[in-house]
Amino acid sequence: MAMILEKLPGLTKGLPGGELLLTTSDYFIDLGRKQSMWPMTFGLACCAIEMMASYASRLDFDRMGVIPRASPRQADVMIVAGTVCKKMAEPILEIYHQMPEPRFVISMGSCANCGGPYYDSYSVLKGVDRIVPVDIYIAGCPPRPEALQYAVVKLQEKIAKMSLKKGLATPQQEKGSRDINA
Amino acid sequence: MTNDEIFAKISAKFPKVEKAAVQVKDYLTVRLAAKADLVPFAQWLKDNAFDMLETVTATDHLGPVDMKGYIRQQNFNPFLPDGATPQIEAVAVAGYAYRPVMDLLYVFYSVKDRARVFVRLEQPRENVSVASLTPLFKSADWQERETFDLLGVRFEGHPNLIKILTPDFTVGHPLRKDYAHIKDRFDE
Repeated sequence: MAMILEKLPGLTKGLPGGELLLTTSDYFIDLGRKQSMWPMTFGLACCAIEMMASYASRLDFDRMGVIPRASPRQADVMIVAGTVCKKMAEPILEIYHQMPEPRFVISMGSCANCGGPYYDSYSVLKGVDRIVPVDIYIAGCPPRPEALQYAVVKLQEKIAKMSLKKGLATPQQEKGSRDINA
Repeated sequence: MTNDEIFAKISAKFPKVEKAAVQVKDYLTVRLAAKADLVPFAQWLKDNAFDMLETVTATDHLGPVDMKGYIRQQNFNPFLPDGATPQIEAVAVAGYAYRPVMDLLYVFYSVKDRARVFVRLEQPRENVSVASLTPLFKSADWQERETFDLLGVRFEGHPNLIKILTPDFTVGHPLRKDYAHIKDRFDE
């Protein structure tokens, strides 16, 4: 009595007894990981307004399993929403290290990607990927909430490719976060 | 209370205080003659219903500096088409001309009269040191720290004059016109 979990919706009916499922461990673990991406709640600048809009009822992030957590210890993904000042860099690093593995980072908006309009500033970090590995970059100033939700969809696709054999890293984390072919 | 009435009261007590050449919006803007006037003037304002210190800040009026500084072209205007001549003021605007001066600004508000007084004080921009207003107004505390942090103005008698905004590893005062950024560990 065995079946492939990918084909579960079509096969459930025909399963005699239904006591036993057979699947790959990678698929099963990745399924659990990608369906409940809990982000750490913090916003650094105006991108946070768009992030709050995605959590709110009109766009409803909950339907994708994204529930904001108030503690990094309960979070899977960090949404860096806004300008990262050099003074804020160390707290962000601390939050990142407090998150349990596997942990993912979404860099939201031009400021978090590369410094954005503050590229020539004395106080702004030129991209959050200088201190933490970033999985998804969202362009925009600020990006629309739909863009943030699309980023979570892309992150789910990426998590689906993770493998226990290769450790806890996503394919992009292994190759380097700025490799666009990863 | 109109601006003229306030200024008449001020001139009766402090004859050396004059109206500034450039007025801030439609508020009374006065300029102090010397930094020794600052504390008696603030004390007098506090005793005469101007019991709230809204703002302490300063402006660095140093002119165009070298490429390491932040002003790169006189009257720089990014909206001019290529090849057009930049807009140079025909006559230097008094109070806005480039000069090696740190222009301090204090804003006092009278809750009772709903009136504001803008007080300006010009100092040579090297090693600026004026008296702190923290004994008179508690609100001066953090604003003087910010002015010190960003512009390097020292306030004598401030209880805790340390950096408030910039991180510890930032060297210098970033809003000074001759500030040159020294690369820190977060720069490439």
